[in-house]
This record gives sequence, structure tokens and C-alpha cells, in this order.
Amino acid sequence: MEILYIEGTEETPKIIFDKQKGTFEISGRSLTEAPSEFYKLVLKWIVAYSKDPNPATHCTFKLEYINTESAKSILDVLSAFEQIKDMKVTWYFHEDDEDMEEVGEEFSELVEIPFEFITY
Amino acid sequence: MSEEILKALTQLFAIITKQDGGVTENERQFVINFFQSELDRDSIKEYLELYDNFSGYTRQGTADEEEKNKLTSVKDSIKTLGICKKINKTLTQKQKVIVLIKLLELVNSDKHFTPQRLEIINTVSTVFNIIKETYKFIETFVISEKIEELNFADILIADSSTTKSADLQKHAHVHIEGSLAFMRVRSVDMYFTKYLGDQSNSLNGFIMQPNRVYLFSHGSTIKTQEGVALYYSDLVGDFNEEIQTTKLSFNAKIDEFKFPNGAVGLRDVVVSEGAGKLIGIMGASGAGKTTLLLVLAGLEKPSKGNILINGFDIHTEKKKIQGVIGFVSQDDLLIEELTVYQNLYYNAKLCFANFTEKQLHQRVTQVLGNLGLDQRKDLKVGSVLDKQISGGQRKRLNIALELIREPAILFLDEPTSGLSSRDSENVIDLLKELSLRGKLIFVVIHQPSSDIFKMFDKMIIMDTGGYPSYYGNPAQAVTYFKKVTHQVDSNRGQCETCGNINPEQIFNIIEAKVVDEYGQPTNKRKVTPPQWYEMYSKQFKINRLENVKEQPPVALYIPTKIKQAAIFIQRDFLAKLSDKQYLLINLLEAPLLALILAFIIKYKSAPGGKEYIFRFNENIPAFLLMSIIVALFMGLTVSAEEIIRDRKILKRESFLNLSWNSYLLSKLTILFLLSAIQTFMFVIVSSLILEIHGITLAFWLVLFTTSCFANVLGLNISSAFNSAVTVYVLIPLLLIPQMILSGLLFNFEKLNNLISTKGKVPIVADLMATRWAYEAIATYQFINNDYESAYYEYEKAEAQADYKAAYLADELQRRNRFVLEHYETQDDSIRKLVSRNLKIIRDVITEEPIKSGLETINLDRDLTVDKYSKKIGELLSDYLGKYRSYYQKVYNDNVSLTEKKMTFYEKKGVNILEGKNRDYNESLSDLVRNVTTKNRLIEYEGKLIQQINPVFQDPKTEGLFNYRTAFFLPEKNLLGKVVSTFIFDIVVIWMMTLTLYITLYFEWLRKLIESFSKVHLPVRMT
Repeated sequence: MEILYIEGTEETPKIIFDKQKGTFEISGRSLTEAPSEFYKLVLKWIVAYSKDPNPATHCTFKLEYINTESAKSILDVLSAFEQIKDMKVTWYFHEDDEDMEEVGEEFSELVEIPFEFITY
Repeated sequence: MSEEILKALTQLFAIITKQDGGVTENERQFVINFFQSELDRDSIKEYLELYDNFSGYTRQGTADEEEKNKLTSVKDSIKTLGICKKINKTLTQKQKVIVLIKLLELVNSDKHFTPQRLEIINTVSTVFNIIKETYKFIETFVISEKIEELNFADILIADSSTTKSADLQKHAHVHIEGSLAFMRVRSVDMYFTKYLGDQSNSLNGFIMQPNRVYLFSHGSTIKTQEGVALYYSDLVGDFNEEIQTTKLSFNAKIDEFKFPNGAVGLRDVVVSEGAGKLIGIMGASGAGKTTLLLVLAGLEKPSKGNILINGFDIHTEKKKIQGVIGFVSQDDLLIEELTVYQNLYYNAKLCFANFTEKQLHQRVTQVLGNLGLDQRKDLKVGSVLDKQISGGQRKRLNIALELIREPAILFLDEPTSGLSSRDSENVIDLLKELSLRGKLIFVVIHQPSSDIFKMFDKMIIMDTGGYPSYYGNPAQAVTYFKKVTHQVDSNRGQCETCGNINPEQIFNIIEAKVVDEYGQPTNKRKVTPPQWYEMYSKQFKINRLENVKEQPPVALYIPTKIKQAAIFIQRDFLAKLSDKQYLLINLLEAPLLALILAFIIKYKSAPGGKEYIFRFNENIPAFLLMSIIVALFMGLTVSAEEIIRDRKILKRESFLNLSWNSYLLSKLTILFLLSAIQTFMFVIVSSLILEIHGITLAFWLVLFTTSCFANVLGLNISSAFNSAVTVYVLIPLLLIPQMILSGLLFNFEKLNNLISTKGKVPIVADLMATRWAYEAIATYQFINNDYESAYYEYEKAEAQADYKAAYLADELQRRNRFVLEHYETQDDSIRKLVSRNLKIIRDVITEEPIKSGLETINLDRDLTVDKYSKKIGELLSDYLGKYRSYYQKVYNDNVSLTEKKMTFYEKKGVNILEGKNRDYNESLSDLVRNVTTKNRLIEYEGKLIQQINPVFQDPKTEGLFNYRTAFFLPEKNLLGKVVSTFIFDIVVIWMMTLTLYITLYFEWLRKLIESFSKVHLPVRMT
């Protein structure tokens, strides 16, 4: 399967999805006005991946900031991951940033994926 | 609403209102109002607390939260997502639209629109899968307070102005202060309304708050302060382009309808409707609901009055309105042997000749889906006793059969009887949807639920004796009856809290009984039907709709007659194939009967009783007759029920005006095919056992022909009688005469004088197929079997000469002597005898080719009583002597020719005896040669008739159409040509079959029987 690599910008996060290496990472900030456009590619990749996933998948979220519009798209990403068995999410947040911690907690309640919270 | 959803909604309310400045009192009041409409008093408190908690209403004022504002909203947004996800799982799209409108109204209650709040509502609508344009449209409708801003095609403004306030919107002119705005949410097909103005109007009896959005559901009514009523059906009609473009007018004026027995079924019913209406017909049982429906649909003719569709009379101008009407009766009109899908498919095929297979499939699948039958599509329908699908599914399939062709006017007789309330609602929903697409639908309905009742655009209520007692909006019906009977609270037609209407109330009022002094209800009604009718005629002035001068819309494309026949054949064939019992019995019947019959009559027939030899089997003549009876019987039984079984389906299809000829031809094709197979198997099995050689094909042809005749005969009685039992009782009546007059059981010469003609087959027997069939096969076997065919010509000449030499010459000689002795007598009676004898002698000699010795006399002149002389008598006597010896010689010549031929064959190595044993049957030969007769020749009506050897006689030519001969003659006259009896007889049976087909086509038998029953047994309709 092809590696999904999207370089981060001021408004969009950096994304690395690599099946062979087992690396799944979303990091940076998501402030775009049209998040559904941006995340469409990501969702497509996950759907393809879910047909033949690795025995276990571990995705890392290291987000600094997201806007309201992006929240739905990120939930969509998480929902797509929900279909994959042995899925795990690690939610990184800055130790001062209570908000991002709470955002992560909210997400963890909406999807049935085990979340691990780690500060950096 | 479930607790879970209400909690979710409370949270949504809270999340939205806490944004940007927090909750205001107005907003909180809105939420309280909402709770009040959904909850009981105790729970309101609990939920309000919950709301206050989430929204931070109690912590109001602490402004330091403002800073973190931005990210808080992200968190709330995620929370919103979670809640919406939960809601998505339980609420229908319609409910979700209502939730969205509630949210918008909540914010609108204080006009506190901020980007954050709208952002969250926007998120909600995205998660609810409401498309952006629709959301924007709904948002505008809720927020806007100026009608000019509502510039959408799905907006309708009703106000007193004469023009629209914006291009796209629709407009209706109503006397009202301010404006009423209606919104149609197309995706879910819902209507909402709000009022902009200062009057107090009421929606279903409840005051409408200005600028509040209300759901405008089925059957809703808005009443303005001035008392003008706006009905749901009218407004929906205004919205609907299809209704407006459908040109349809239905004007029925039934002054009177009488049953055949003279009772009045309907009086003075006027119905006038256009496209896009769903009209209910209600009434106590026996009030004439079904009668009204039948008359409206044109199935019964009113005694006085007419029914016009677009100005075309339903009875006299049938062609113009072909396919416009659909009728779903209470009966099951399904083909039980076919699956649900096949039932619909063949029906569709008969309606849409212009569709491709793919389109047909799509149409069928779509209709099945609409009626919730898609899961059952491959199940066989089955009979009522052997149920494969449930009663509700049967009912829906019956409706689907009519719906599939979408007739412009549809009549349904109690489509919901026997259905669960959910199924009933689905059915009426579907009808409503159809009416919104421009159809006019009449439904007889019994005990409808409140929801169903309200869905009707109009209700016609009938009272006992066929009196109309109400015509109008269903929701107003209760009010009307309450008002005219001066009941308290007559303005309220529906329940105040739930909005339910109880249609039972109407009948309680109509049929209220007078109470006697003991408080017991009597049989007397408070208000009699004529009294109700009097009030009705004062109250209801039905405006006659202008007749549309246009052909009514028809979505029908009937296939050509040949194609129809092909479809019928295919459908019937499939049905028969899938009926395993039918197939098994019909295919096994013939070989089994052949086996039984042949086995029983095969015995050690050889002289000495050592083995079986065909030649000596004395049962062969009887076997041939039995075979014909079997063919006749099988042909009759297989066809006798055909049309009866299909009658209900034919009734349904009568609206399609399909070709009766095509239908009959399809029946014949299948029945003839079956007959061919049956008779073939019979012939093969019996021929093998009885060792019958050389006539297989001819034998089959005779049996097949007979069976086909029986098929058409069976169809005739099947089309004439109403029950299968009658038909089966009738079968012996048809079969026994066929047996009696077959020619074998009873000799034609020895029948009642009234019917028999000596020397000719009686005319009554000529009407029997068996007689022709028997003669055909018996003569064929005798003449054409491998043994006889070689010598038949010689034997024929031999037999003819023998008859003349041995019998005819003597007979004439005897008569001549009598004449000689008595020609001079004066006794009148003897003179008569002399004259008769002379005529007989004259007739025979005239036809005789050999006349040598008679050259000197003129037969016609000299062989009379006056001219006869001794000289002539002696001349005649001499001639007869020569005549005799001449034919003796002819006889001897032919005998020796036969012997020579036999010797010739024997030399060639043919075993003649063996051949005779194999191919020739003595009993049959005795029969066709009539050897058992005592009198070789008899005198009958002044003619000598040869009794012996019919199979060696030649037919006499007497006129072009005189086909009559004695039984078993080898040849016959067919229009001046001599053809073999075998061919002639088969042609005769086919002509009979053709005649029966013509009587079947015109249904003469049915009409005859109906004309009898009309006199004695009046049929009553309920």
C-alpha cells in the first residue's frame, strides 16, 4: 500500500500513514475553513487500509490547535479508524494546554477506541 | 420522545445558548415552553435543571470565561457532534428536520444570532445529513420576518394582496390580515407554516403565535379570525406542479341507482373532483359504500344519472377513457401459482409494451419497494388456504397490481381491511403520495385511525339506504355532526392535547338511537337517513367542476394482440409449471389410464388360448371407443376450470381492455399443447401393450383432435358458469350423450324412430365428436393397416359385385315377379305396391352402368304401372339374369386377383398369415363390414339400402352439401370431391372446434345462462 504523506502547513496538519512501517501520525494545527476537502484524501486512505489492516494499528495525534470545522472531520477520521480491530490512539498534548487535553477526552468518549493521553 | 433523545436535545439547547453571552430569559422561556409541550409538570423541573447546568445559566455573569472562548467552542462543537451522532441513530429524517427548526427558533426567540451559535447549528445540520441549500432555506424561513426575503420556489405566501412579493415564491389569495407563510421541505416532504401579523388565527383549533414555526401536517386546517378555512389538501395542491398540470375532471351525478331486484342503492349522490385528491367513502355497513364505488368506477350503471371523466361518459365513451380507471376490489386477484414478483411483472408487461425488460424490472422493483414487499418478492403467492405470504402482503400486492400502471383515477374497496395499523398507514401514505402526484383516488374505508382519517382530502359519508350525509373536509366532519345535533363544544373536532379525531364519533351521532322511558335504546334512530339527507342537501352545495375538454392522462401502452397472447401464454405456462400437483397429475393421467386400460383388455386371444394375438383381440373396437372417451374426458377436465380460475384476474384486467381473443388463444395454445402431450403418451403406452401397429400417428391425430374439441368445449362451460362444482357436475351431461351416440355402443340403425334415418347416421349423432372420431379411426385402421391395404381395392370390388350378384339381383327379380303377377289388378292398394316396386327397380337400374338387353325400352316411361306389360317384365327378368352372372364373374375375377397377389407376396418371402395376425383385427373388421346384420339389404322409404359391408361401399353424390352417409363408409363427399372418411371426419371435428371457439369468443353460452338467471334470481350487491 502506498504511503500517505502530507506536509503540514499553517492551516493543515502534517500526516504520515505508512502501513509497512506501522507509522500513523497526525500532528500540527488544523485551522482550515474547508476541512472536509482536506480530510477527504485521508479518509479514502483509511477506508482502503481497513480492508487489509495490520494486526494492530497505533495512531498518534499531536495536535496543537483545531477549529470547530475541523473537529467534525477529525471525528470522521476517528470513526473511520473505529472499524479497524486492535486500534489504539495516543493523544499528545502540551502539559500547559488543558484545552487540547479536554478536546482529546471529548473525542475519546465519542468513539470506541482506547485513548492514551501523554504530555510533551 | 425517548428520555435519551430529550436529554440530548436539552444538551444541544444548552450548548447553543451558552455561546456568546450566555442564555437570555427569552431563550430560557422558549426551552421551558418546549419542555411543557413534551413533558409532564414534574419532569419539566428535572430537565430544566439539567438545561441550566449545561448552559451555565446559574453561573451567569462571571465574564472571565470570555478569554478562552475560542477553544471552548471547539470542545462544545465536539460535544455537539457526539450528541448529534446519538440522535442520528434514533430519529427519522423528518424528526431531525423538526429538531433543526427548534434549534433555529430557540436562537430566534431573542434574535441573538452570533457566528458561534450559527456555527454549531450548522454543524448539527451537517451531521444530520441535511444538504447545505436546504439548511440555508430553512434558516431563512425561521429567521426572516419579511415575506419579500422568502424568495424560494418552495415557499407559498397566503395573504390578501393580489400579487406575489417575490419572483420565485408561490402565492395564494386569502382574506387575512398579515401573511401566512408556508414552507415545503422537499427532501422529507413536510410542510411548515408561520404567521406574520397581529390576528389570532388557529391551527387545528389552537391559536398560532405570530412568527412561530408550526408543522403543517396531513389534514391540518388553519382558520382565520374571519372564519376562512385553509385546508392542507388545498395548499399542498398549490405547491404541487403535477397536480396543476394534470388535466382531470370527474363529475358524477347519480340521481338513482337500483339493484336488479328493484331496491334503491343510491340516491342523489353528486361527486365532483379534480386531480390530486384522496377521497374517502365511509358509512355504516349496508349504506352503499361499495355500491357507490362500483358505480363511480363504471362497473355498475346508475339507473338515472351519468359519470363523466373529462366530459366523456364512462359508459358510452369507453374507448376515450381506456386505462384511466384502476379498481382494487376486496377480493384477492392474484395468480396463486406465481411469485409476488412474477404477478407484478406480467401485469406490468401487459400495461407497458413500450418498456424494455430493464425498465419493467425497475418499475416492478420500485413498486415492490414502495409497498414493502421487496423482501417477499420471490415467494409464491399461494392459495388462501396454503398461505405463503401474509394477509397484509396479499392485500398490498393486490394494490400494487393496480398501482403499477398508475391509472389517473383509482378506486379502492377497503384496502386496509385486515391489515395491521402500521400496514394500513403505509398503504394510505402511499395513496396520499400518489394523489400528490396528480391522481384522483377514491377509497372505501372502514374504521380509520385518526391519522389515516386526517390524511384524506375529502370524506363522503353515506347513510343507510344510499343517502349521502356528508361531503367535505374530514376534520370538519365531527364538527358538522356535532353542530347540527346541537352538541356542546361543537367547534372542537379533535382532541385538544393530542389532536386526534375519532371518526367513530361521527357514526355514534348519525346512528344515535331514541331512548325509551326505561333508558333502553330502541331501534328507532333519532335522525333518520332522509332527515340527514335533508340537512345535507341544505348544507352542501357541491360545485360542479368544469369538464376538462381534453383526453385524460393515461400511462398505458397496451401491447399488440399477438404480444398479449405471448405474454398470457408465458404467464400461464409459468403458473402451470410451478403447480407441481397439477403438472404431475396431468402428465401421469394419460399413461396411467393407457396402462390400466390396455393391461385389462389384453388376454390370450389366439385360438386355443396360448398367446396374445392382435388379430383375435375382440376388445379392440371397444378399446378404440374408450380411448376416444379418455381423450374427451382429459380434454374437458383440464379446461373446465381454466376461465373460472382466471375470472377474478380477468375482472381486474378488464380495465386494461386487453384482447379477449389473445387471452383465449393463449389458453388454447397451452391446452392444445397439453392435450398433444397427453394423447401422445396415451397412444404410445397403449399401442405398445396391445401391439397395435402402423396407425400410431393417425390414432394420435384422432385422439388429439378429440381432446382439442373437448378443450374448447370445456372453456365454453368454464366461461359460462360461476363455480367449478357446477362445471364438474355438468361434465357427465356432456360426456354421456357422446358415448351413447358414438356409434359403437348402440347401433345407429336401432335408435328411436324420431331420430334415426335408415342407411344414414342420425343428425343428432353427427353433432357428437365421438361418432366422427370413432368412424375415422375404425375405418382408417381397417383400410390402411399393412395387411389390408394391399388387398383393399380387390376386396372392395369383390364385395360390391358379391352384393349385386347374391342379393340385389335376387331382390329385383323377386320384385319383378310380383309386378308381373299383379300389374293388371284394379285393387288400389296392390297397384300402389306395384308402382313402388317398379320405382325401386327403375331407380336401381338407372344407376347401374350395365344396361345391355334393355336398349329397346325407355326406363322412365315403360317401367310404370300404366305402361308395364308382360313383354317388358320378361325382358327385365332376362336382363336381371345376365346382370347376376356378370357380377358373379366380376366377383370371381377379383377373388382370383387377390389370391394371385397373395401368392406373389408369398413367393417374395412375405409371411401373409403373420402379417394378418399382426395388423388385421377380426372384430374390427366384423364391425366395419357389419357382418352381424340379419338383413343384408332393406327397403326404407322407397329405396333399397345396403346394410352389409359399409366399409366397401361408395358414397352416393347427392348435392354439394349433402355429406350424410351410412356409418363406416370409406369415403365421403366434401363439396363435390370424394375424400377419405378419415380426413373428412377430422376436418369435421376441427370445424366443430372452430364453431365452439366462436361461441366462446362471443360468450353466447354465458349470455344465454345469464338471461335465464336474470329472470329468476336477482343478484344482490352489498
